Order: sequence, then structure tokens, then C-alpha cells
Amino acid sequence: MRRSIAALAVATIATALSLSSGASAAEHTVVLHHMELDKIEGEMRVGDVVTFDNRSDMAHNLYITYSDGTVDNLDTQVPGVKRSLTLRVAGPTVIRCWIHPIIKSELVVLDRDAAADK
Amino acid sequence: MTDTRLFILLAFALVLTIGAAAGVAPRSPDGMTVTSAFVGRVSAAVGVHVPDELKAKYRRPESIPAPSSNPLTPEKAELGKTLFFDPRLSRTGTVSCASCHNPGFDWGDGLKRGVGVTGVPLPRRTPTVLNAAWLSALMWDGRATTLEQQAALPITAEHEMGLELEEAVARVKAIEGYAPLFEAAYPGEGIRTETLLGALASFQRTLVSAEAPFDRWIDGDEAAISESAKRGFLVFNEAGRCSKCHSSWRFTDDSFHDIGLESGDIGRGQFAPPSVVIMQHAFKTPTLRDFRMSGPYMHDGSMASLDEVIDHYEDGGKKRPSLSPEMQAITLSAQERADLVAYLRTLQGPPLDVTLPRLP
Repeated sequence: MRRSIAALAVATIATALSLSSGASAAEHTVVLHHMELDKIEGEMRVGDVVTFDNRSDMAHNLYITYSDGTVDNLDTQVPGVKRSLTLRVAGPTVIRCWIHPIIKSELVVLDRDAAADK
Repeated sequence: MTDTRLFILLAFALVLTIGAAAGVAPRSPDGMTVTSAFVGRVSAAVGVHVPDELKAKYRRPESIPAPSSNPLTPEKAELGKTLFFDPRLSRTGTVSCASCHNPGFDWGDGLKRGVGVTGVPLPRRTPTVLNAAWLSALMWDGRATTLEQQAALPITAEHEMGLELEEAVARVKAIEGYAPLFEAAYPGEGIRTETLLGALASFQRTLVSAEAPFDRWIDGDEAAISESAKRGFLVFNEAGRCSKCHSSWRFTDDSFHDIGLESGDIGRGQFAPPSVVIMQHAFKTPTLRDFRMSGPYMHDGSMASLDEVIDHYEDGGKKRPSLSPEMQAITLSAQERADLVAYLRTLQGPPLDVTLPRLP
């Protein structure tokens, strides 16, 4: 009985923390067409998961440079392969391809708690 | 013709059409795809048919791009040409930009590896500067992203021209005849590093390949290239897989690939974290415009003949983790190889009509 109460308390606290940190993490899909990325629609926040779907006929190797200078590399994606990452840092962010420097997309990753842009 | 025979004929035509559209046609015993072989056989009577949408990918642009920070003007190009041919921009006063980017060698040097002021062979082959206006990544390893940035690199490289930019500017300032050229090109801005490099970049933007037989064919002149070259164009785009990287009207994707050459030079890998395996040994795809049939070939000039190059691509290159996924072993028949070479010959236009400057 005590264990059940403790577990319930932990779950309640976790839920409360989750609610206090704003909206839950969202999932986004960005499609790669030949030498360009789909336009990124909507807001992206720290903790959101972005999936890159390579629907081109060539291999790509995307990487994301965050506002603090750190980089996440998505490794090589041959045609038909999807790769995902979780956004780590808020601020201006650049997505590029190591193989094809002409591919470039910029976005602003919002804080988890930032108010939605109306 | 009976209905049954008509139906069989229609079905056969449908199979060929679907096979061609899907690019998965089976191969005939001589190594050509059935569709290509079919096209080749028909060519004697009615000519090779190439889809317009494929041709459209290779159509030349209408105008030369230039950055808003350095718009292209005739005055800048004239100044840049004078600087380009001036050996006083090198430490020894003996090497100009044109020493390695020689108009007579299609703006390259025809050497396996270039040589500068020290006489030490450079690590890589000299690329042409033709059509540089459209480049989004410059140098074999992409370490410059604009022509203005790039212009500084050979001047300052120890084994190329070996001169500090400040010294280059000082030398140009000391040559009386340059002042009016700079004033015409950059009114009120003076002789500075930025104007010197901007002028060199501007001149290079004017170096656009002259119309080649291939261009006339793309524009609709069927007699501009041979039937063999037209079949070679199909080989280039299909069985040969060349267009996977040598794409667009410049025949380059401006991108970086490890094509599996034996070399200690890791190229683009110097600028990527080691975890980015795909960039190890990766080099920029060179243009094939004004392709020099006499070679040498590859970023390191390591191949002397086109046969050697085609053999390399048939083999698929050294198998290692960084090998480009686009590098897949191919098999070409003797006829396909000959057609491919015939096609590559059509990419060379006449020399540019450039008048040499009189140096001040």
C-alpha cells in the first residue's frame, strides 16, 4: 500500500513538472528533395524531435549548428532513409549538408517554456 | 495485322516504355541497356532520341551572378584582368594568377600538380577558373565560399604566390598606373585589400565558357554533335552514373565526395569533425566544361588517361567507410565507353576572346 502511494506521488510530481515546463515535445518531419530542404513550418522548441526524410535520389549528411556553436551530426542518409534528432539548444540554428554545402536552412529554436508565437 | 498481333506489339512497346521510364531496363549481352541499345540501333535511321526534360537540366544560364556587395562592372573586370596577369603579386615577382590559370590550358595549367614560387609541387591539381561565378564552394576542399575570399588564398599560400596581402597592396600602390584603374573600378575606395580581391573576383566572374557543340545541341541543333556523342550523353546520365555528381550545365554539383582514390590527403575532412566519416577523402566535384581530353585527371592529377578514369569508375574506387554512396561499380561496353568519350569531346568550346592586358 505504501509502495503504491509512493509510486503515485512520484507520478504526480513528474506530471506536475511536465506541465510546468510548458507544452510537451512535438515531432516534426522535414523532407529532403534533391538539393533542398522543405520549408520548415511552425515553431520548433528545445526537446522537439525533428525527423529528416530523404526523398531525393542522392545521399545526404545533414548537421545542425546551434546558437552556442555546438553541432549535431545526423550521419549519412542514403535515399529513402529517415534520421531524427532532438533539438538541444534554443536560439538561431542552421541546418546544412556536409556533402552539398548549397543545402542550407535556418530556423530559431524556442525555449521549451517560451510563449507560443501568435 | 490481326488484333492479336497488334496487341502483342502494343504490349512490347509498353514494356520498353515502362522500362525506360523506370530506368531499370535489362542489359543486352554487349552491356548496353536494352533501351539504350534500342535507341542506338534506331539512331542509324532516325537519330537518338533524348527527352527534352533531360536536356533542360543542362541548359546554360542567361546571366552572370555577382554578389550585391561587389556588383560586376566592366571597370572592375578590366582592373581584375590586369591584376590577374601581374606577376608582381607574388613574392618573387615571377608568378601571376595566370601562371597556373593559363588561358591556353583552358584556364588551368595542364600539369599533374601545380608549381608556384618555391618550385615545390603543390598537393593538388590546378582547377580551371572558368565559370567560377557560379561556384558555391571554392577550392578542392571548399575552404572558401566566395570568389572574393578565394582570391586571397593563392596569393598568400607559401608555395603558390607566397605574398602577404599587405605587401601585395603596397606593391600595387607603388605602381603608378594602377591608381586610375582602381579609381575607375572603385571610385573613392582606394587601393585596399578589399578592392584588390574584389577586382580579381570580378574578372574571374567574366570567364564563362564559350558555347560548345553540346550547347548548340541542347538548344535544338541536332547536327551539332554526332550520334555517338548523343548516345554518350545517355551513358553519362544512365549506365555510367556520371551525372550523379557531374550535374547541371557546369557538370558539377559543387559538392564533396570520396571517389575512392588512394591518397593521404583527406580533403574536406580537414574541416569536418572526424565523426563525419563521409567527408574523409572527399573533394569537390570538378566541372567537365571545356574538358581537357589530354588530362591529367582527378584532384591529385593521378590519372593520365581517360581510359584509366573510366576503369576507376567501373571498379567503384577503394572500399572504405567514407566512400561516396554514389560510387557504385558500373560496367560499360566498348561501344558505351567510346560513346562517352565522344560525348565528353562535345563539352569543349572555342577559347575565350580575352585580350591580354598591358601591365602598368
